[in-house]
Amino acid sequence: MERKRSFRRRKQRKPFSEKCKDYLRKFAAFMFSNVGIIGLVVGYTIAGAFIFTSIEGHTEQEVKINILTSRNQTINRLWEVTYNLNVLYKETWRNAVEIELFKYQKDIIEAARNGYDGSDDVDEFKQWRFAGGFLYSLTVITTIGYGNILPRTPWGKVATIIYAIIGMPLFLLYLSNIGDIMAGSFKWIYAKCCLCRCCPGVARRRAERRRRRALQLSIEYINSRVDSRNNSDLSQASVHNIHMEEYRLNSLGGSSSDDEEEEDSDGVTETDVSYDSQAVTVPLTICLAIMVGYVCGGAILFSRYEDWNLLDGSYFCFISLSTIGFGDIVPGDKIYSGKGYELSFIFCSMYLMLGMALIAMCFNLMQEEVIHKIRTTMRTVRYILRCNR
Amino acid sequence: MSRYLDPEGLEPSKPSACSRFLRYTWKTITCIFSHIFLVSLVVSYCIFGAKTFETLEKDHEMEVKKNISSIRGRIIDKLWFNLTSEPYLREENFTFLIVKHLKEFEGELLKAMNKDGWDGEEDINKVQWTFAGALFYSIIVITTIGYGHIAPKTTLGKVVTIFYAILGIPLMLLCLSNIGDVMATSFRFLYWRVCCYICTKKPKKPRRVRQRGGTIRREGGRGSYRSKTQSLRRSVRTSTRSADSGFDYGDVNPLSHSDTEIRVHEELPPMKVRGASLPRMKPGQNSRFREMSTVNQRPNQYGAGRVQQRGGSLDRRRAPKVWDPSLDLNTFPDAPVLCNKYALEGPEIESNHIQRGGIRRSFERSRGRRAVSMPRTHNYLELPVPVSPARSTEDLRPRQSESLKRPSPSRHHASPRIMSPLGYGSKSLYIEEESDTEYFDDGMSFESSRTTRIRPVPIWLCVFLVVSYIFAGAFLFTAWENWDYLDSAYFCFITLTTIGFGDFVPAKRVTENAEMSIALCSLYLLFGISLLAMSFNLVQEEVIANVKSVAKTLGIIKSDDIDDDDD
Repeated sequence: MERKRSFRRRKQRKPFSEKCKDYLRKFAAFMFSNVGIIGLVVGYTIAGAFIFTSIEGHTEQEVKINILTSRNQTINRLWEVTYNLNVLYKETWRNAVEIELFKYQKDIIEAARNGYDGSDDVDEFKQWRFAGGFLYSLTVITTIGYGNILPRTPWGKVATIIYAIIGMPLFLLYLSNIGDIMAGSFKWIYAKCCLCRCCPGVARRRAERRRRRALQLSIEYINSRVDSRNNSDLSQASVHNIHMEEYRLNSLGGSSSDDEEEEDSDGVTETDVSYDSQAVTVPLTICLAIMVGYVCGGAILFSRYEDWNLLDGSYFCFISLSTIGFGDIVPGDKIYSGKGYELSFIFCSMYLMLGMALIAMCFNLMQEEVIHKIRTTMRTVRYILRCNR
Repeated sequence: MSRYLDPEGLEPSKPSACSRFLRYTWKTITCIFSHIFLVSLVVSYCIFGAKTFETLEKDHEMEVKKNISSIRGRIIDKLWFNLTSEPYLREENFTFLIVKHLKEFEGELLKAMNKDGWDGEEDINKVQWTFAGALFYSIIVITTIGYGHIAPKTTLGKVVTIFYAILGIPLMLLCLSNIGDVMATSFRFLYWRVCCYICTKKPKKPRRVRQRGGTIRREGGRGSYRSKTQSLRRSVRTSTRSADSGFDYGDVNPLSHSDTEIRVHEELPPMKVRGASLPRMKPGQNSRFREMSTVNQRPNQYGAGRVQQRGGSLDRRRAPKVWDPSLDLNTFPDAPVLCNKYALEGPEIESNHIQRGGIRRSFERSRGRRAVSMPRTHNYLELPVPVSPARSTEDLRPRQSESLKRPSPSRHHASPRIMSPLGYGSKSLYIEEESDTEYFDDGMSFESSRTTRIRPVPIWLCVFLVVSYIFAGAFLFTAWENWDYLDSAYFCFITLTTIGFGDFVPAKRVTENAEMSIALCSLYLLFGISLLAMSFNLVQEEVIANVKSVAKTLGIIKSDDIDDDDD
């Protein structure tokens, strides 16, 4: 969108520099091409990371300072309590301390809601460092929205809204683009690897095809005979016959895969085994297997990285990839250890971007397959109906 | 399934007014039924989920809540122990000791909040996983908002959530797009029938809009490339829809071949043809212009006019002002309408083309019978042409025999035309639809004539609608939840875009009437999302066309990539 605007601006200067226009055009074309879109999304996310860290960087500090002061106050009060009770009876002391602790607990809850993560060091920013900002931007434009890192300032909120308005279409564009490419290449791989000659089912299919062709020829013969015989009236019986035969053919061919067949089936015998890689529909099971495999793989990786168990890992992967994004389990959760924090952020971002494209691809493929299935079924049913009439 | 097939089975045998009426009522009923059915399915799914999650998670939450007080008790015990073990109480010592313990306490509380989902409330009567809370949770899951203020903490709860989401998200999408469709249709109707009767003093406006759509379309997509993306888009949209749309697709096929017949027959005496083949035409038309179930609902008397118009619009490039439907009706009844791009080249080719069309058509007849097991790229050919009573078969005989003499040239002529735009191929699925469209025109006319019929609602109106919805929501939430205005607007935006951070959640702090505010929020949310779906639906085509034209001027060949930009 902004590209459009910039182009318009540039357009007025265009006459005196054709070159500029050409470069711009090429640049735009590249940016929206397959490679460029990845760069665009990543760049946008990085920009978002910088924006948000600069806007939000100091709120975290405030929360920490608040907690520190609250803790000190609590200690003071506790000391007073202990001091004022001249004789330490356990019950009275307990009650007094309980009240104080309860107050303190409320403070902690408030702070935790405001993004307090438990670390004391005031000068250390954990959430709104670059990695955190990057993950935040990514969760905004993917609409995952974990909510573990949040904008607290009004400007942060406004910036989030604007950032999301621009970013989400961009990411959708990325998804559809990459999903298309991946779907195409996956199909190609599938067609080349799984449907090739070495497959055991191919011989059977080829035989079937040959038989079908023979039947076709006979039907053609019948057709021409029917046409020549009765010019005036098509006897209902013969039509019926033909339809019956058609249906038999169809059911015969429909069960086996009629999709990888070339359309020029008569005369062109060598197209027999070469499949149009784009006309292949990938079975649902493979798509599902890919998605499940990706989630499980992610689960294994994360469980190694983050000390989650396998269920938590796969739960996290699923919740993230379906863009639900509860945020109850978030990467970089090893807050207290401190090390491996940034790395896991980056790793998680990559996992998400790849995973969502993969999901898009799988949906792309599954959709084709489902529509194709439904159509085939409908066709079959139609033939049945036509026969019965 | 049979319910979808019945009308079709009835229809060709007796295309009387009665049966047509029956079919329309049937379609209306199925339409309404499917909508109500879907909505009730979603509602019951949510309620089912609420029950399940309530039973799964409530006990765990209770336990966590009880645990908190025991945590505090432990801390106090430790403090007491340390206190009594010290012989003297000095402030520094005491502070040092207590800081350690308080930090421990802090850590445990944070763990309880983050890991175990404690909401900070110790009262056992105020659990989050009440029925209302669980219902809200199910809605949050299947709309993929995912606030995360309540999340399952038990193992079983997590597993169930995963499966619940797998089933629920597509269901919800289906329902939302369905509702969005209905809303879009009614909104469009409202806009053009109500608003534009009021502003009849400038009748230019619809006209202008329409023509703009036409021109955009024309420059926006060249030929079948456009039609590819269109059909793609259409089917993409449909796929999120129900199986019943899939069945509708099925409906297209038996009927769509009649388009080609019409083409041929318009060269024959026009009156008879129209009478004969139009009724059968309409269903195909309906399902082709998928978005509107409206056409199903209003019995279109303009059936004839529309078909003519559609046919007429093919010649659009020659005569662009053909757009007016009434004009079409009057101008085109006896003009030979050739739905082919060759028709553009001039009248002398036309005559040639008539012949060709006839040949192709009759070739189809012959082809139709044996093509059944043929590759499905020829699907439009596969359908045996039902012999309609009105058709004078003797007209066709000579041509057929003629065409049978040379089937292969015409086939070779036909096949590259169908295959060539399909180089992209990865959408093999849409080949059928494509070739349907492709066959009587290069598909563009369809899209353009659709724009004429489905007049677009201006983009700014939709944007304005959504923005005002967000602001209204912000206002309401300010009143309900005592947030300030920016926070409320932020909440509405984050919710409607399904980002769902969960920092602001209704009824998180105000606990008196939690159920009420949860219910209000869910209503706001569901309606808002379907409103978004509606406005996408309304704006989509036009925005895509706009962006595409911009991309064209930019010289980006891959304008295909651009069009999702505003999806």
